Amino acid sequence: MSEHVAKFVLSQVAKLPGVETELLDVRALSFPTNDAGEQIKSPVFSAAMTRADALVIVTPEYNHGYPGLLKHALDTNLKEYVHKAVGLVGVSAGPWGGTRVVENLLPVMRELGLVTIFWDGNFSNVRKVFDPATGALLDDAYVRRLEKFLNELVWMAKVLRHGRETISV
Amino acid sequence: MNERARVRCPGCGAEMNCHAEKLDPQRAADDPAADPALDGVVLEIHTCPVCKFVLEREAR
Repeated sequence: MSEHVAKFVLSQVAKLPGVETELLDVRALSFPTNDAGEQIKSPVFSAAMTRADALVIVTPEYNHGYPGLLKHALDTNLKEYVHKAVGLVGVSAGPWGGTRVVENLLPVMRELGLVTIFWDGNFSNVRKVFDPATGALLDDAYVRRLEKFLNELVWMAKVLRHGRETISV
Repeated sequence: MNERARVRCPGCGAEMNCHAEKLDPQRAADDPAADPALDGVVLEIHTCPVCKFVLEREAR
């Protein structure tokens, strides 16, 4: 069901003027599992991270945590993330909307050099939010909620891009 | 802020901006580039304002 959320988020980001976006599915990146970190960089993934001014991470919550595959993919880059904005979207089958996975990702984001925003996306009872067969959104309230999240993300992305390009340490 | 030599972008030749320093503690043990006070190697992150190339190098 997280795929439905990711596609919905993508569709909302694509409506923003002046914003280019793409969906990266960690399942399709096929990182090897006999090593980890920057030793197993994917040129495609790293190039996308270099191009990006901001990331939206859509993740399901499993046992209060994030999928190992997501962490495995994130660990393959570092300099590509530094001083870029990130917004977190949690997805859960239950009522908590992935709040625990969002909280657990925060220290990871910080160590990667990403800058988190104070809006999150929380998709609770996700099987009731999207039609499981078609992926159609069944609750329009999420459009308004995501608008607030994306406004903050774009603001942070602009500020950080200005900083990366013009403000020196 | 430290004044440091500007790095030229290897992609387009524009002057890059050093906007971050990050400690790599995994290279502390026997790396000659390690800063003993920080117990790791300080890496500079440079971004090209023209083509967005990102460069990482040891701090000098």
